[in-house]
Amino acid sequence: MQEFLLQASWWIPCYGLIGAVLTLPWLTGYIRRTGPRPAAYINLVMTVVALIHGAIAFQASLHLDPQPIVLHWFKAADLDLSFMIDISPVSLGAAELVTGMSILAQIFALGYMEKDWGLARFFALMGFFEGAMSGLALSDSLFLSYALLEILTLSTYLLVGFWYAQPLVVTAARDAFLTKRVGDVLLLMGVVALATIAGTLNFPDLYEWAETATLSPTVSTLLGLALIAGPTGKCAQFPLHLWLDEAMEGPNPASILRNSVVVGCGAYILIKLQPILILSPVASIAIVVLGTMTAIGASLVALAQIDIKRTLSHSTSAYLGLVFISIGMQWTNFALLLLFAHAIAKALQFMSVGSIIITSSTQDITEMGGLWSRMPATTTAYVVGSAGLVGLLPLGGFWALREGVNAFWYDNPWLVAVLLLVNLLTAVNLTRVFRLVFLGSPHAKTRRAPEVGWAMAVPMVSLIVLTLLVPAMLQHLYLLPDWAYLNQTAVLLLALSGLIGCVIGASIRLTRVWSRPIQAPLKFLQDLLAYDFYVEQLYRVSVVWGVNVLSKASAWFDRYVVDGIVNFVGLASILSGESLKYSISGQSQIYVLTILLGISLLGILLIYPMW
Amino acid sequence: MSTQFPWLTIVTLLPLVASLLIPVLPNKYGKTVRWYALAVGFIDFALIVYAFWQNYDFHTSDLQLTETYSWVPQLGLNWSLAVDGISMPLVVLTGLVTTLAMFAAQSGIQKPRLFYFLMLAMYSAQIGVFCAQDMLLFFLMWELELIPVYILISIWGGQKRLYAATKFILYTAVGSIFILVAALAMAFYGGNVTFDMQQLALKDYSLTFELLVYAALLIAYGVKLPIFPLHTWLPDAHGEASAPVSMILAGVLLKMGGYALIRMNLELLPDAHFYFAPILAILGIVNIVYGALVSFAQRNLKRRLAYSSISHMGFVLLGIASYTDLGLSGAVLQMVSHGLIAAALFFLSGVTYDRTHTLILEKMGGLAKAMPTVFALFTIAAMASLALPGMSGFASELMVFLGLANSDSYTSTFKVVIVLLSAVGVILTPIYLLSMLREMFYGQQNPELIESGNALWDARPREVFITACLLVPVIGIGLYPKLLTHTYDVKTLQVAERAQAVVTAIAHQPMPSSARISAAPHLPKAPASELLGIVK
Repeated sequence: MQEFLLQASWWIPCYGLIGAVLTLPWLTGYIRRTGPRPAAYINLVMTVVALIHGAIAFQASLHLDPQPIVLHWFKAADLDLSFMIDISPVSLGAAELVTGMSILAQIFALGYMEKDWGLARFFALMGFFEGAMSGLALSDSLFLSYALLEILTLSTYLLVGFWYAQPLVVTAARDAFLTKRVGDVLLLMGVVALATIAGTLNFPDLYEWAETATLSPTVSTLLGLALIAGPTGKCAQFPLHLWLDEAMEGPNPASILRNSVVVGCGAYILIKLQPILILSPVASIAIVVLGTMTAIGASLVALAQIDIKRTLSHSTSAYLGLVFISIGMQWTNFALLLLFAHAIAKALQFMSVGSIIITSSTQDITEMGGLWSRMPATTTAYVVGSAGLVGLLPLGGFWALREGVNAFWYDNPWLVAVLLLVNLLTAVNLTRVFRLVFLGSPHAKTRRAPEVGWAMAVPMVSLIVLTLLVPAMLQHLYLLPDWAYLNQTAVLLLALSGLIGCVIGASIRLTRVWSRPIQAPLKFLQDLLAYDFYVEQLYRVSVVWGVNVLSKASAWFDRYVVDGIVNFVGLASILSGESLKYSISGQSQIYVLTILLGISLLGILLIYPMW
Repeated sequence: MSTQFPWLTIVTLLPLVASLLIPVLPNKYGKTVRWYALAVGFIDFALIVYAFWQNYDFHTSDLQLTETYSWVPQLGLNWSLAVDGISMPLVVLTGLVTTLAMFAAQSGIQKPRLFYFLMLAMYSAQIGVFCAQDMLLFFLMWELELIPVYILISIWGGQKRLYAATKFILYTAVGSIFILVAALAMAFYGGNVTFDMQQLALKDYSLTFELLVYAALLIAYGVKLPIFPLHTWLPDAHGEASAPVSMILAGVLLKMGGYALIRMNLELLPDAHFYFAPILAILGIVNIVYGALVSFAQRNLKRRLAYSSISHMGFVLLGIASYTDLGLSGAVLQMVSHGLIAAALFFLSGVTYDRTHTLILEKMGGLAKAMPTVFALFTIAAMASLALPGMSGFASELMVFLGLANSDSYTSTFKVVIVLLSAVGVILTPIYLLSMLREMFYGQQNPELIESGNALWDARPREVFITACLLVPVIGIGLYPKLLTHTYDVKTLQVAERAQAVVTAIAHQPMPSSARISAAPHLPKAPASELLGIVK
């Protein structure tokens, strides 16, 4: 039985998709009598099935060697595009994480989306989303991974555009798609290049090829940069990071998934690509540089945000930046650990945020306050989530960051500084948000704020427990360091940076009405951070403007030059015909005169050279 | 058994013969003619599918279901029909799209007799073009298809329909002169006079002659495909034609250009193709990028889709120029896939126009609330068009990319530049398609739409059915491209191999291979005659 389920683990992504397809009768309005709820239940059941199947397969895979399943998709002359699935504890574990998060987010959505008329559509999209992500976790072929990344792009587009009548959603969905697509298409170019150079797209064969491959520096650099472009877009790293911030316009349960596991998918692909990226030192450096820029930049930007979802989403970018750094430095363990810890803690935070939003009907933290006594479970969720993220208390985030500090301790001390700085800034920001939202005096929108119902509370509380259990899980998987070998200075520094962050966050003056600083430099700084370092404006005047002008110019060219010549020929022939018709007067003398003149002219021309 | 059942003749002539009955049909409530035409279309489509199902052998690259009857022996004109891997998928596509286009026409259409008569006549002509194995017969069918399109645009079109129809007929008529001249030149070349394509392929032409004929045919088919700068008839014709006619124009007619390029330029004139291939690749890139850029600037929904067609047909050119089995296979797949997707998009824009009575994007907005099903279908079609994995557009474009990248007839710099530029095109595609969706469906409903008394009802079952018929194959092929490619890849392999044999033959000649790309554009004849094509 176990063996069979293990062999059939390619079913795990299919459950989500089947669930999505089964909701069609409700989605299309074919069944109206029952309301959209059954569609949600079907999806939940399918996800539970996927979770159970995955759990059994995971148990079974622990005792077996990794084994591939190959499905030939397309075969031409010398090219074999196949879907290869890898069944190993790592990939099944990742799939488990995805389905687990998906099930919690779906239960949460039952409460959050209770009164939404598009419930069936939402759950169909969630099923689709989940299927694509768990497929990505299992995939062992770059081609399949690429295709699934694109499917994820589509799901993001559809989920962000879920409330399509809202004004901000209009551009958010499109921007999310376009930004990710730029990354995806560049990745596709890398895939095409790899298919040509290496002749295969399955990761095991690619690794084999990469060991012996000799490429010219230009080729390997271009290839490496193309390959990292896809994950850069997916993980919301500079310069393709703006979509995540805007994507917060979508429904919150989708944001839970997006900030925890979806961004992780990009990093997961990057981890898989890493043995190939080694071919190009430039690409590795680029990853580290991009990661560092994003980690520090996004942490700073988060400080100035007043939208509760956006400030947390910037912190997601920052953490993924750290993951990028670790992949670039080839510390895969640190990357995986941080991804895992971050996924759980961030999901918990977003659940807490979802509860706040549904109760207070606002996302603006300056309109909140005093929620701690009114919503105890939500407050606990926020605190535990933050603790799980920041390296201060010995929860997931702490152990993950410790691994990083340890890894960079001897060779790259400046990266340790980056890590500590990000930790400090995150602590500052989370404390600031905590003070604004939960402490202080209640505001108009937070005065009558009851705790959320069971559908939202149950997943939240279970995730609180889960977050607290992360160290135990790590212990179980032998991922925690031995006490004797612990680098105590590093641990101390890490905890200290978290502590200082909390202290700063607790002591800065938070004016309620968010008054503008009077000193010009401070004001400028606040604006600079609040508007993402003006990157969006920069894009608007460069790329967007460029494409617009170029397209206008080519349209002008098409209309007035290419088509203009055609119309001119038409006009000229009509005009000449129209004007020539006046020469047909009916008087034969004129005809004779014309003939005579013509012949004389011809004669002169003929005789002219003889003179 | 030599006297095979004449499937192709029946399939080709059935709509034409049936259309002759339309003038005398009793048509009391205006419905009989519609149902009659639909039935004929459907029966013909069923016959096509049955004939291929029973008699077509996927494992051979030879011509199949061959029929030859002498028609006008004095001229050497034969009624000679056959199909192979390149034409077979397109014949099926024609049957499907044309039948659906007739179904897409509103039941209350004006002058139903004329409309359905023309549609059926066009049905025959299109199949004839794809099946004809005689150059003269091909030319006749090609011309036969022009006139119905002209009338269909000029009677049932939009406001500028006469301008558009005239432009269409002038462009294509001028183009087809080149076909005739080229056909006659090839027929009379050498000792024996023949119009049969098989015989023509066997003739041994001189290089100059081949280059000239190639250039002439390239102009003719370049108008049809269309290739920049011969494309400006297309946005006008597609933009002004009514939805059913646009469906056929985008779905089938453009493919006639691509088909003829493979059938004649590549198969009959492989030597000249060697010199023209780089030009084709460059033109393909221009098509892709230029089409996408111009499309983004269009404010009219149908014109935007029309330019997107130009952009997508660039991939067909790239595939033809790739010199690989994979690229050529991708080109054929792109033709079928674009035929389905473009037909769906044009049909849906017709559905929207039916409600809003405008095609200007600014005047729409927030339609999703009133028309959720149309919104969903439009989104699926747009995703298919922008080459999302799992849809046929992705499979074909990927094959073209891979084919080009694997091609060893070009220098790697040339390949990198071509692939990168087409990637730019692939990034531009979602920009114009998504902004189109945004302006049409997202946001608040445009108050003007309601004030002007439009009733925005959602898609009817008939409309959903038509779109589903087009989009289900798109997704099916996208999920498993072998479904379609295995029906023709023997043939594309053969064509690509022959073309490559020429490359190796020429490469062995003293001409240095590195000079090839730079040498090709200097050919004396090509630019000059192209200029003629514009001026004419």
